[in-house]
Amino acid sequence: METLNELLGGFATAMTWQNLLFAFLGCLLGTIIGVLPGVGPVAGVALLIPLTLNLDPAGSIIMLCAIFYGTQYGGTITSVLLNTPGEASSAITTIDGYAMTKMGRAGAALTLAAVGSFIGGTIATVGLVAAAKPLGEMGLLVGPPEFFALMVVGISLLVALAGKSMVKALISGALGLLISMVGIDPVAGAPRFTFGIDNLMDGVSFVAVIVGVFGLSEILSFRRNEPTPMVHAPGFRQLFPSRTEWRRSAPAMARGTGVGFGLGLIPGMTGSVSSLLSYATEKRFSRFRHQLGKGAVEGVAGPETANNAHANAALIPLFTLGIPASPTIAVLMGAFLQQGLTPGPSLFTEHSEIAWAIIASLFIGNVLLLLLNVPLVGLWTSILRVPTPILTAVILVFMVIGAYTINFSVFDVYVMIGFGLLGLALRNLDIPLAPMVLTLVLGPLMERSLRESLEISQGDFTVFTSRPISAVLIGLGLLIICSPLLKLRKPRALMEDPEA
Amino acid sequence: MSRKKIIAAVAAASLLALTGCGANAGAGNSAAAAGDFPKKGKSIDLIVAFSSGGAVDTAARLIQPVLEKELGTNVEVINKPGAGGQIGYTALTGAKPDGYTIGATGSPSVVVSPLDPARGAKYTRDSFQPLGRQVIDPTVIAVQPDSPYQTLKELLEAVKAKPKSLTASTTGIQTGEHFALAQIQESTGSEFAPVHFSEGASQATTAFLGKHVDVLVANVSDVNDLSKQGKARVLGVMSGDRAPSLPDIPTFKESGYDLTAGTARGYSAPAGLPADVAKKLEAAIEKAIEDPAVVQKMKDLGLQTSYLNGTDYQKFWAGQEDDFKKVLPLVQKKD
Repeated sequence: METLNELLGGFATAMTWQNLLFAFLGCLLGTIIGVLPGVGPVAGVALLIPLTLNLDPAGSIIMLCAIFYGTQYGGTITSVLLNTPGEASSAITTIDGYAMTKMGRAGAALTLAAVGSFIGGTIATVGLVAAAKPLGEMGLLVGPPEFFALMVVGISLLVALAGKSMVKALISGALGLLISMVGIDPVAGAPRFTFGIDNLMDGVSFVAVIVGVFGLSEILSFRRNEPTPMVHAPGFRQLFPSRTEWRRSAPAMARGTGVGFGLGLIPGMTGSVSSLLSYATEKRFSRFRHQLGKGAVEGVAGPETANNAHANAALIPLFTLGIPASPTIAVLMGAFLQQGLTPGPSLFTEHSEIAWAIIASLFIGNVLLLLLNVPLVGLWTSILRVPTPILTAVILVFMVIGAYTINFSVFDVYVMIGFGLLGLALRNLDIPLAPMVLTLVLGPLMERSLRESLEISQGDFTVFTSRPISAVLIGLGLLIICSPLLKLRKPRALMEDPEA
Repeated sequence: MSRKKIIAAVAAASLLALTGCGANAGAGNSAAAAGDFPKKGKSIDLIVAFSSGGAVDTAARLIQPVLEKELGTNVEVINKPGAGGQIGYTALTGAKPDGYTIGATGSPSVVVSPLDPARGAKYTRDSFQPLGRQVIDPTVIAVQPDSPYQTLKELLEAVKAKPKSLTASTTGIQTGEHFALAQIQESTGSEFAPVHFSEGASQATTAFLGKHVDVLVANVSDVNDLSKQGKARVLGVMSGDRAPSLPDIPTFKESGYDLTAGTARGYSAPAGLPADVAKKLEAAIEKAIEDPAVVQKMKDLGLQTSYLNGTDYQKFWAGQEDDFKKVLPLVQKKD
């Protein structure tokens, strides 16, 4: 009851017209930042912190939080419309989102993404209010061995992303792992696969890679698939999802919320892991899994719900334990500190009013984002009315700027172009791109946790099987990997399914 | 209708291109432009070689607004974590010495990576131009609140009797924490099993809170809050005097071990800055470090500001180098 009272008090603070304005501005700026390929949430929040410094603590944090989850939504827009992810956690949405656009369902895809984001974000915030403390402590149960086991489950979902050929999926996955190893060895500090090129010391920029592999290769393949693909702007009535689309999205959103919320609690996970695993979950459990990759609504609704649930859930360890669970949250934490607020348990005792105002503003921000984005769907989709040659040119400019602005380095532009060519080659060889993105994201996390785990156990591999949580997860991973083998024994009827 | 939109799109794109280029305009003529440093609208990158949320990052983010005011331009904090600082330091020392790239530097990490040829560091201590020291943050040893060890002596005796029986966190191979463990091993014979959390202190603390490592080796600022909340039992501080923020915790010397260790943090540029650019940066950094609000916020975090100018900061590094050379073999990879 006390909690509810405090929350209501928080709403009172958050609903003043100034704070509503800050939340609105934050949502708007965040959406715009998310739309720009390359400028992700970390850079976006960091760039805009100076804007908020002179505001009072509540207003400034409210605005920054709004920017933060606004970017999560904005990233979807270019993923769906242009097959170019605006930020990493929307990379996977390109697959079905863009396929929907080709079918004239761009509006439906964007509306479902907005609604999914709203649901995921709101439920995660309810979780923050209801059970922040125990949930935060639960995240701590995931130590290096459990983290590694989770990564095994993630990598095992390669099977789900395989498409027609397991071998081709493994090639794609291995490529991603190789690329993720470029740079300085994170533990021993020696350069790996850098070929003496200084620019590779930091590794290959993930955003440059995905913009190249998905976006540039798409544009490069235009000419090959003459005539140009039928991408057209939908009419007004096509802007909104049909009843079937709603019905099919609902379970995907529910699963996406679960995946995003659960992973968001774990320090060190990023939003892109959540959206990838949500996609893989759909690929495995959705009734319409065989349509995924061809424009299934589940492939948009699931991951987009997951990354917003993740974003809000990731605030739980920050609020309750003072642990920044992801790079963006850490930037937010910097803003807290500059306002004289130390995140952690003392936040609720020493600055209770502000803490609750921020939580209330998360609800408000999610509503604002929905109100802001659903009406804008028509505007965004009208981008598709621009004639293809001009649109292509504009997208190319955006991609080059996006790649350049990651580190203000021309090298990243070359990386983007190189990976565009690689993406084109992979498409021509019919090698799926999703497994590569999966291993590119999970590879470094997996390596790090493996090495930490073995240091904890001093080289004893049983550390992964002797701890209950990690043992269960490893078992689950193995089960997923083996499941296609089990399927081989099933009756022929199943085998005749084109995708099985 | 559509033409208008095209124009709008192209205008937006070119605007972006302009701002993007603006950030790097004139990068080539640094020597001539020293007088008007920093150029209006050209932002300065402040590279932090550790992940966000740790003490180095927090300090950098605290001085950032003051630096911006003093220099009259944007200062962007950029995190490049990994390999105990080596990734970020490589980026810092590889940048053009024009004042538009500076970095937070912590020793011992800056001092020791180049000492071990196996790490393939592309920089030496001379690749840095120190601009000012901000704090010294002593190393502490803490155990779980339910640990059987009540005093430092009990802990160290137990580990001496059974080497490698307890795991202890570091923030990466050959970082301050790793060297502290080496110093303890050398002078007491107590050998812990180090677990290297190469992404930094926040990751190590998280693992400790989840009870995945037994002993937390960290800095005073990392354990300040944990100790107050009863989530860590701090057994000893490796400094000459007790830490003001942890007045009840004895120093190592009080417990009978004459050992000091800690991280010193400050700011540096790549070597070879034009003299007047260096002077301007040094002055702005001093202002930011000594800013009363910043000093107070650092104090709230358990950090004691102890400013040194660039020259003295450099001398301080040289002294540290001599100390670390002695225990270097203990922290080198044997396999």
